[in-house]
Amino acid sequence: MMSRPRGRFVLLLLALAVAPGLLGRPPGGVAAEAPPSHFRFIDIGAQAGVRRALLAGRPGKDHLLDSAGAGAAFLDYDRDGRLDIYLVNGWSLDGSRIVERGRHALYRGLPDGTFADVTERAGVGGDGQWGAGAFVADYDNDGWPDILVTNFGRNLLYRNRGDGTFENVAARAGLESPGWNTGAAWFDADGDDDLDVYIAAYIAVSMDHVLAATRTLGWKGVEMVAFGPFGLKGAPDHYFRNDRGHFVDATAEAGLEDKALAFGFAVRAADVDGDGDVDLYVANDSDANYLYRNEGKGVFKEVGAWAGCAFDEKGSSQASMGVAWGDVTGDGPPDLLVTNFSMDFSTLYAGTGDGLFEDVSRATGIGPMTFRPMGWGTVFADLDNDADLDIVVAQGHIYPQIDAHQEFEGTYAQRNLLAENLGRGQRPLFRDATAQAGPGFEQAFSSRGVAAGDIDNDGDLDLLITNLDAPPSLLRNDSPGGSWLTVVPVGRSGTRGPIGTVVTVKSAGRIQRRDIAAGESYMSTQDPRPHFGLGAVTMVDEVDVRWPDGTHTVQKNVAARQMLSVRQGGTVDGRR
Amino acid sequence: MTSRVSVLMMASAAAVVACVALAAPAWAQAPSQPATPAEMTATYNSIADGILALKVSEENIVKAILAAAKAHGEVQLGRATRALTANDAAGAKAAVEALAADVAQIGTEGDNSVAAIRKRLIQAGQHHNAAGEAQGIFEEGFVIVTRAAKAKLLGSSRKIAQMAGQPNAASLQAEWKTVEGVYAELTKPGK
Repeated sequence: MMSRPRGRFVLLLLALAVAPGLLGRPPGGVAAEAPPSHFRFIDIGAQAGVRRALLAGRPGKDHLLDSAGAGAAFLDYDRDGRLDIYLVNGWSLDGSRIVERGRHALYRGLPDGTFADVTERAGVGGDGQWGAGAFVADYDNDGWPDILVTNFGRNLLYRNRGDGTFENVAARAGLESPGWNTGAAWFDADGDDDLDVYIAAYIAVSMDHVLAATRTLGWKGVEMVAFGPFGLKGAPDHYFRNDRGHFVDATAEAGLEDKALAFGFAVRAADVDGDGDVDLYVANDSDANYLYRNEGKGVFKEVGAWAGCAFDEKGSSQASMGVAWGDVTGDGPPDLLVTNFSMDFSTLYAGTGDGLFEDVSRATGIGPMTFRPMGWGTVFADLDNDADLDIVVAQGHIYPQIDAHQEFEGTYAQRNLLAENLGRGQRPLFRDATAQAGPGFEQAFSSRGVAAGDIDNDGDLDLLITNLDAPPSLLRNDSPGGSWLTVVPVGRSGTRGPIGTVVTVKSAGRIQRRDIAAGESYMSTQDPRPHFGLGAVTMVDEVDVRWPDGTHTVQKNVAARQMLSVRQGGTVDGRR
Repeated sequence: MTSRVSVLMMASAAAVVACVALAAPAWAQAPSQPATPAEMTATYNSIADGILALKVSEENIVKAILAAAKAHGEVQLGRATRALTANDAAGAKAAVEALAADVAQIGTEGDNSVAAIRKRLIQAGQHHNAAGEAQGIFEEGFVIVTRAAKAKLLGSSRKIAQMAGQPNAASLQAEWKTVEGVYAELTKPGK
């Protein structure tokens, strides 16, 4: 990976530029009114060449499919050390007429910071399917990242041939699973060292029904909007076990039956109770969310209600859309953020370390600041490299009709949220920094997916956000910030960022942990290279990479501000 | 169930109309005020009894679900207590988690498979407590457990789950007492 002095130079200049503002903050870390923000994001999507408009049904959003949108993925499909982008597209409709079947898009990151559309050559255009999400993992362990694309229709499994092209092997692999597929997660459910996959589904409905849909649900007595999901039949989620490259539907056998036929959206696999195997969280729209605890050997038990992460603090189901996972409260155990419908809190469940959760939405400030908008994709990311995780939520309503009655729930197009983590012990823990986060956060769209990744390898995390009926936003992070470390785990077969790898960084008496996942936010995949903000730290005490097979690679005294490549069972190679 | 009732109703109505038509030719009768035949109202009354009985049956099945979860919880509490006495930490943990699940299932009127049935009923427009839902007392489709009781029960289930790591018989009993109090209030006669 090449050194990028430009990023560091810009950081230095910006740090000098905002220093007076920082010095002017009141003592004790307590801000008076609107504290000066050090965040600055600029949408470089168009100038960087990422221009594919993401189609989303009819302008009036007559059916829920019209407004569901899609996710996106950061990946490094050619293993050149630069992030590439995969976008999932929908269709454009006019009444019941199909105007255009959108093409998915693969953009290759180039050395000059732009992106080249390589969709045709790579053969990943989507086969005319109405897309939902993109989930990147090296499922066949050949060293090259593959892409599972969930669809309204048949899923696609793009196997990376390693020569810049892909082949769709979904039918052969047994993963087509027709229906309204949504979120998914690759994970080793049964501990046999290969990746299995869970695919959520939303509503049992045919394309004919979607095309014939009209708005039949009364909204506050003033508008007719798209009907559902209440009153519609949920579609069952599926779990597919990887049996040597062929996927077998083992949903019931594994105890992963979607018994409530819930309206499933986001899925996140993680070791929730710290027992070394991978559990599964499913965010459902208008139904209780599921937490499937792995009881060992690929058998799960649904424990969401008593684990404290199925409902909000009042015990009510919420209309959940997206999920973020990580230690955002900075106390050690990972936490869960679940985004929800408008006029309801997004819920931050603080992990208590034993697989249980406590709703801290109100106390942390996240609840009140997410109440009015409608939340979708969300990521935990240290955007200012100050050694704590900030929160981004993609926002936007599903009913364009609300624009005529903004007094109720605001507007259809909404700004995305940047919630700054003020540091452990602060109450509230977060403040809404959106208004001071630069022009990238001044845009208003009806956004859906969000992924974080370092597109320019300059040590800070940039953001990719999908928008309905518009190209995505590619927000370059020009914020001045602290020190950082990005770890690039390389598995035995050459896989960059093997799914299930956990990286722990110890520095200045602080422990930060990231796990590598394929499937989170809203039907999206993040940069597979764990990123750590370090504040003023220049030397990290220890980097511990725990590989999916349970082995560790540990490196002591690691210099900050570098991309640290760690090979399983082999060398550690730092590049600054 | 609803469609079966409809079929019965239509069949009864048709039979009554046929009987009336056969028994007395229209030309032989003096003009009179139109009246719903007594046979029809009697049949309708029987159907109403059935409909109302169905609503009571729905209450009863949900009460049975709650009672089963509570009974199972009592068993788990006993198991946990015995395991604690025997210093069987793993056994106690398993029993406490099962107890937490039982309490949660009282709060949610059954597990996720019951939630699917609730959803089916809502989909068909069947709301057991429509007025209570409108007033915010009940969640959609809930029959016995109010929102307030659900929140209390889920809170108790989480507190019990938190004890799984280091269970304590007295604390478990105390939380179970809370659960019993909420349960008794929900299921007391006349509610």
